[in-house]
Amino acid sequence: MNKNKNKHMRQIWIIRVLALIAMMFNSCSDYLDVVPEGVATIDMAFNQRDETLKYLYTCYSYMPRNGNPGSDPAILGSDELCTYDDHYNFGGFDLSSVKIARGLQNTTSPLLDMWGSLYQGIRDCNIFLENVVKVPDLPDWERKQWIGEVKFLKAYYHFYLVQMYGPVPIVRENLPIDVSVFDVKVFRDPADSCFNYIVQLIDEAADGGLPLNVMDPAKELGRITIPIALSLKAKVLMTAASPLFNGNNDQATLQNRDGTRLFNSTNDLSKWNKAVVACKEAIAVCDQAGLELYYYPTSALTDLTDTTITQMSLRNAFCERWESEIIWANTQSLSAEIQQYTAPKLNPEFRDAPGIRSIISAPLKIAKLFYTHHGVPIAEDKTRSTDIYALRTGGIDEKLYIKSGLTTVDMHFDREPRFYASLGFDGGIWYGAGKTDDKEELWHIAAKKGEVDGQWAPGVGTISGYFCKKYLHFNNTLSSLSSYSITDYPWPIIRVSDLYLMYAEAINEAEGPNGANQAEMFKYIDLVRARAGLESVRDSWDKYTNNPKYSSQTGMRQIIQRERLIELAFEGQRFWDIRRWKTAPEIYKEPIESWSLGQYKAADYYRPLVLYSQTFGVKDYFWPIRNSDIINNRNLVQNIGW
Amino acid sequence: MDLNLRKFSLWYKFLRVMKLTTFILLVFSLHISASGLSQNVTLAVKNMSVQKVLKQISRQTGVSIIYNESYFDETDRVTFQVDHMPIEDVLNLCLEGNDYSHVIDNGMILIRKNNDLQPKQEDKFIKGKVTDNENKPLPGATITVVGTTRGVITDNDGTYSIEAGPRDKLVFSFIGMESLIIDINNQKVINVKLIEKSEELEDVTVVAFGKQKKESVIGSITTVKPAELKVPSSNLTTALSGRVAGIISYQRSGEPGQDNADFFVRGITTFGTNTNPLILIDGVELSSTDLARLQPDDIASFSIMKDATATALYGARGANGVILVTTKQGVEGPAKISVRLENSFSMPTTDIEFADPVTYMRLQNEAILTRDPGGQLLYSQEKIENTEAGMDPIMYPANDWKEMLFKNYTMNQRANLSVSGGGAVARYYVAAAFNRDNGILKVDKRNNFNNNIAINNYNLRANVDVDIFKATEMIVRLNADFEDYSGPISGGAEMYNLMVHSNPVLFPAYYPTDEDHQYVKHIMFGNYENSYINPYAQMIRGYKDKSRSQMLAQVELKQDLSAITKGLSLRGMASITRLSQFSVTRAYQPFYYEIGSYNRQTGDYMLTQTNTGTEYLGYSEVPSDRVMNSTFYFEGMANYDREFKEKHSVSGLLVFIARQSMDGNTGSLQLSLPSRNLGLSGRATYSYDHRYFGEFNFGYNGTERFDKNHRFGFFPSAGVAWSVSNEKFWAPIKTVVSNLKLRYSYGLIGNDQIGSRLDRFYYLSEVNMNDGGKAARFGQDLNEVLNGVTVNRYANPTITWETSVKQNFALEVGLWNDFSIVAEYFTEYRKNILMSRAVIPRTMGLSAAVRSNVGEASGKGTDISIEYQKSWTNDFWTSFRGNFTYATSKYEVYEEPQYDEVWRSRIGRSLNQQYGYIAERLFVDDNEAQNSPVQEVGIDLYGGGDIKYTDINKDGKINESDRVPIGNPTVPEMVYGFGFSVGYKGIDFSAFFQGVANESFWINASTTSPFNGNTQLLKVYADSYWSEEHRNIYATWPRLSPTINSNNVATSTWFMRDGSFLRLKQVEVGYTLPRSWSEKMHMSNFRLYVGGNNLLLFSKFKLWDVEMAGEGLGYPIQKVFNAGLNISFN
Repeated sequence: MNKNKNKHMRQIWIIRVLALIAMMFNSCSDYLDVVPEGVATIDMAFNQRDETLKYLYTCYSYMPRNGNPGSDPAILGSDELCTYDDHYNFGGFDLSSVKIARGLQNTTSPLLDMWGSLYQGIRDCNIFLENVVKVPDLPDWERKQWIGEVKFLKAYYHFYLVQMYGPVPIVRENLPIDVSVFDVKVFRDPADSCFNYIVQLIDEAADGGLPLNVMDPAKELGRITIPIALSLKAKVLMTAASPLFNGNNDQATLQNRDGTRLFNSTNDLSKWNKAVVACKEAIAVCDQAGLELYYYPTSALTDLTDTTITQMSLRNAFCERWESEIIWANTQSLSAEIQQYTAPKLNPEFRDAPGIRSIISAPLKIAKLFYTHHGVPIAEDKTRSTDIYALRTGGIDEKLYIKSGLTTVDMHFDREPRFYASLGFDGGIWYGAGKTDDKEELWHIAAKKGEVDGQWAPGVGTISGYFCKKYLHFNNTLSSLSSYSITDYPWPIIRVSDLYLMYAEAINEAEGPNGANQAEMFKYIDLVRARAGLESVRDSWDKYTNNPKYSSQTGMRQIIQRERLIELAFEGQRFWDIRRWKTAPEIYKEPIESWSLGQYKAADYYRPLVLYSQTFGVKDYFWPIRNSDIINNRNLVQNIGW
Repeated sequence: MDLNLRKFSLWYKFLRVMKLTTFILLVFSLHISASGLSQNVTLAVKNMSVQKVLKQISRQTGVSIIYNESYFDETDRVTFQVDHMPIEDVLNLCLEGNDYSHVIDNGMILIRKNNDLQPKQEDKFIKGKVTDNENKPLPGATITVVGTTRGVITDNDGTYSIEAGPRDKLVFSFIGMESLIIDINNQKVINVKLIEKSEELEDVTVVAFGKQKKESVIGSITTVKPAELKVPSSNLTTALSGRVAGIISYQRSGEPGQDNADFFVRGITTFGTNTNPLILIDGVELSSTDLARLQPDDIASFSIMKDATATALYGARGANGVILVTTKQGVEGPAKISVRLENSFSMPTTDIEFADPVTYMRLQNEAILTRDPGGQLLYSQEKIENTEAGMDPIMYPANDWKEMLFKNYTMNQRANLSVSGGGAVARYYVAAAFNRDNGILKVDKRNNFNNNIAINNYNLRANVDVDIFKATEMIVRLNADFEDYSGPISGGAEMYNLMVHSNPVLFPAYYPTDEDHQYVKHIMFGNYENSYINPYAQMIRGYKDKSRSQMLAQVELKQDLSAITKGLSLRGMASITRLSQFSVTRAYQPFYYEIGSYNRQTGDYMLTQTNTGTEYLGYSEVPSDRVMNSTFYFEGMANYDREFKEKHSVSGLLVFIARQSMDGNTGSLQLSLPSRNLGLSGRATYSYDHRYFGEFNFGYNGTERFDKNHRFGFFPSAGVAWSVSNEKFWAPIKTVVSNLKLRYSYGLIGNDQIGSRLDRFYYLSEVNMNDGGKAARFGQDLNEVLNGVTVNRYANPTITWETSVKQNFALEVGLWNDFSIVAEYFTEYRKNILMSRAVIPRTMGLSAAVRSNVGEASGKGTDISIEYQKSWTNDFWTSFRGNFTYATSKYEVYEEPQYDEVWRSRIGRSLNQQYGYIAERLFVDDNEAQNSPVQEVGIDLYGGGDIKYTDINKDGKINESDRVPIGNPTVPEMVYGFGFSVGYKGIDFSAFFQGVANESFWINASTTSPFNGNTQLLKVYADSYWSEEHRNIYATWPRLSPTINSNNVATSTWFMRDGSFLRLKQVEVGYTLPRSWSEKMHMSNFRLYVGGNNLLLFSKFKLWDVEMAGEGLGYPIQKVFNAGLNISFN
């Protein structure tokens, strides 16, 4: 009896325990399903137009930050501008490009390496192109436009890589994530293939849905248009035709493991012809879109002297947002930062202003680069004394350029308007910054030791004595110790004058100065000169030099190249141009000099001082590919010299 | 220290009343079994001796008959015949005519000689004293004679006297103590020591989800006596190093609240994310901070589970070992109150020395010139000379920031109170603790707030167990830990950082209020061009308040199911933990001044204000300090434990667990989802005759992190053991080798925390649909901005458990019952370690690393512990113990590029191996540097006096390819400790040494690089550096530089140092008041002790406390002098 009861109890208990365990495990799989429906996946980015727009923006977000002192190597990495190295670390922008300028590039962790981020950008462009067809509520015309924009970006990112690294692997389509370890090991494609692919993409973009002008400027300025696409195409073809990529024997040994040569070592003139066509086409479409050289609008209300108006035309051609000359401005890279680090204080009342460091300066060689007021180089101007370092005191005639009664050097006198529009110097007038009536006394720079814009201490104040006026919007004003107003603008990547000068260059290279297109060539270079208040090439060289070299291709090349360096100074073009022309080794021979900033008197101050010397070898044409990338992918060959 | 003693005496009275009540209950219960005997006897004897007859009666009835053998001899013979006669009558018949009578007593019959009614007391009475294990007398203990109702109770001094025969057995019992049965065996005086009934009986070991007899444990489990974890610190984790065989541990910082030691069970064997052991406190998973806050006084047991068998039941999470702590339970008995009070003085173990300000200026000028001959000097000769001459300290400041910011020592207090006891139905253990830890920062009296670190920690614990029914027990545990922190805005370590990186000569900490500023209410802090750091201003400008609360509630039910089948029981436990933490900072913006003008003749100066500060406090919240967590845990368990035929011992266990944890402010959807674990684990053990043992375990665990198809992992393990010393053939040498046991285990354990917390759901992609980093901007006014889309993780549904295959060989030896040695050798092989696919080139353009379970690593090592304990006399005892842990690891499979150079591969190297350049010496001059292989080590120019590295692959340049494995691993491979204790009468003394070996560390050349960012100049650098005059190519510091020279700060052998050390970790002297004295104060125990922590350090490295390794310029490790008092009341 008792035994039976026990047995019964036992059964009940066993059933209970089993039931409990069963219950627990029944709910197991649910218990571990913690992720609710609706967690974001990549597909969701293409579910509707507004999300896809975000992905379009994502593709734009990889735009290199042109004009940013910390990330654009073409600003401080060249011989065009200089600043303090990190011995005087001020905690501002990244100083990698300063190291590049001083020859400290390396393979372990290359300075300003863009390999990673640009390939990421390309991958995102490809993801966009793969998926944008799926978006249900995207109108067809807009889909085409967006595809055009993204194809353009994909082309631009490839082009930027080619500029930096030379021939690079082309990524036409994305490889899947789970691709085998062998297939990810891509080869570098030959330079010609790279350029062809880039041009092909741009053509596809331009033929598709890109607009001539953006439809809604308030929302879309900065997005890609046909003029942008065609101007970039012109630039790409110019680059492809230039000596660096066209028949460059220095790079002949750069070959893939399988023997593929990455550089074509025979010079192909037809590449220049293609560039001519592309430039012409781009200029035409710009005209159509109303893009033309900028002139400062004069009205009855503005009562400025012609000198100042020319100055304003030149300054605003770069600094004024969206004026007629801007073909492509990078809205992902605004200029406020570089303006802040370049600005002089001007107002002696606020000489202690802590935010104004004025540390981005131009070296003496750049000041010398500009033409005389005759539109020819100082050395070629037969009217010019050779002693450019002689002291001279500003008179009433040049009072809009040089402070009357102040003593400065001869080389600051009688220069072309672009010199005064681009550079500030000790004794130089600075229009704007709160003083806009040029009949009244204007600000001027005082940059000797102890003066408001002198070098206070190493790391504080100018390093050379020249201020890059070009960057600074004339409205920028230091209104108190701690308040400096900056008029921000998106960094211009391509201006009309750039396009005009490319056109002139392409014609000269394709056929010389006496070919079929010679009229076009002189027309466009002279348009640029005229806006700068200069006479035509022929007139200037005829009148003011002993050598009218424009009649030879070499002479004309020198003229066009110099014109370009002057017109586009500080815009991040020189860095690439002197590489593309292969003139960098010669140009780098001239050291980086400053005035004697520690001096109080003009006689002592105006003595050039070498800050540092530069060298340029074969390896400096291209970035090194990061060592670890090569170790990871043995199919990548390193650039020569690294 | 100001505890109210009167309160205590009230308590004491209350407890006395309680004690009296229990005593009365006990006495009454002793008289219940007096009843007559009803057996009948059928017997026929003829001329049989009385003794034989009595024996026969006894045999027939089962009643013991007790008599003195001298009463009867062979001549006393009887003849009779009885049939079913009551035993009493038979006895009367038997003893008729003799002078004897019999007494029936509780089932026994006593035969007494009638003329011997007044027996000699000395002969029949046993005397003695009953004490507890601390040799304190036990009043009220009961002593009964086995088989009788005769019992006595001990007096106030624990003495007793009981009447008993020489062959009797005595039972000694006391509430809350283990009863003891002793054979009298002709003894007249029997002194007995009763041992407390407790969970931590010597022969029981805490194992996963239960306890096992120590002899039957096969897994590798180290148990630490809680007393060994009592260190003068509020941080339990600092006590682990060297005290526990199998733990690799070190402490890098001494900052209160931030001083958790790092600890690993058997080293680190994975290069996955989680290397930390699982910490379980009363069965509930908690963090190392919770372990740190645990009061050693509350710990009942502390065990480390190391091998597969021991951790198998925690299958999912036990791969890195398990630390299992249980807290004390109440034991039956009167309330026992224990109080501990401690006060300690704490100060840095080592003082870092900086060069004086004048040397600083001289060398900084030198640094500028040596790198750039045209460079502009920072300090004029006049400033240097006047500073040296000690001129006007306002104009020529020479700050000793360390002196200005930090005190020499600080004081900390700890108080701890526990009450435990209970009756047969319910037991309780209640403890409260208060710790106060202070930092060594100075406070400016002009502020009315305290910017020094001050931590008040309050801990309350209540463990109650109730026997609801006879077979049902309920245990409720509540624990609350509250911590109030107040301290400098950015923490103590940051203050050290600022102190190290502040210019000592440009400005004073603050200017005295002068005439011009007499109405200024704020402190006039010094600064220079408003662009330097004034560490003093930064320190005292405000403070941070932080509050952390943790509540833990736990209920456990145990059901004994012996009714169903003997040995079966069920247990269920549920626990909820809530954690919350927040902090706020309040600070003013300091006003900075500098000298505007100075008159050298008069010494007058004018101050100019260089910024606009605030005189009022600002407020801000610290989002990173905001922690909210809620955790739920459940376990249900069926247990079976039975012994058959005395030789076969079988046990089985099946446990189901479910756990959920959720964080409150994670910042992302995926992180906000709860973390969950499910598991079913089991154990089956069998042992035969205490000689052969076998065990099988498994864990079947699931986690929410993996794809449905890979969610569950099965982790089996098995082990065997042989107790050689229990074999018969061992008997002859058992007196020498009292214990010899061999153990072996093998099994798999898993780890689900394989990637960063941020990467939880590997099977899902993580897409940030609103990434500001991918924003783009357009429009006329540049204000059309949209954020972009980023893939933060690519989906990989195949990712699953990291698995560890563990093997353990163990040898246990006991010698002469005094020595015990446990030596273990282990190997471990980790598979499926999650790692980023290294070979995917950047041309793929991936925005996140692709990961998969491809890595493999292995580890092996030994841990040995030795214990020796001996009481030489009643008054003199000694003990010694030593621990040694050695654990190495190496990469087995590691996806890496195919390097040209074999030495770059990680395969076969320790997981904590550092790679770096081999520094030969410093370059003699620039010329040598020019003509040596190009060093692409850094990006700065280098020359004479900079470090010359070896071109390992002889390719003419020194770059990554020339980095080789250098030094020992950064985590020590060897940790050991040894200590001894001696006691003589009331005095005890103990000392403990702890050491670490096979560790390298690197002086952080970047953060110590003088002048860079105003870094102060270490004295050792000032004393030995390469200068153009003294071209010491083996100087400590290379050529000076005003900024970091990246050639010199690369990881290299130049700044590599040996991290080995031996330190006198702890010393303590205690004095326990004699019983008679403490009793006068109504205490059962009174012990005073003084001691110290980290008193001596032996190491080759002298610059700072070597245990801090590369973090030497942080908050220093503390040396502590401690005085304490421990009182208990019974």
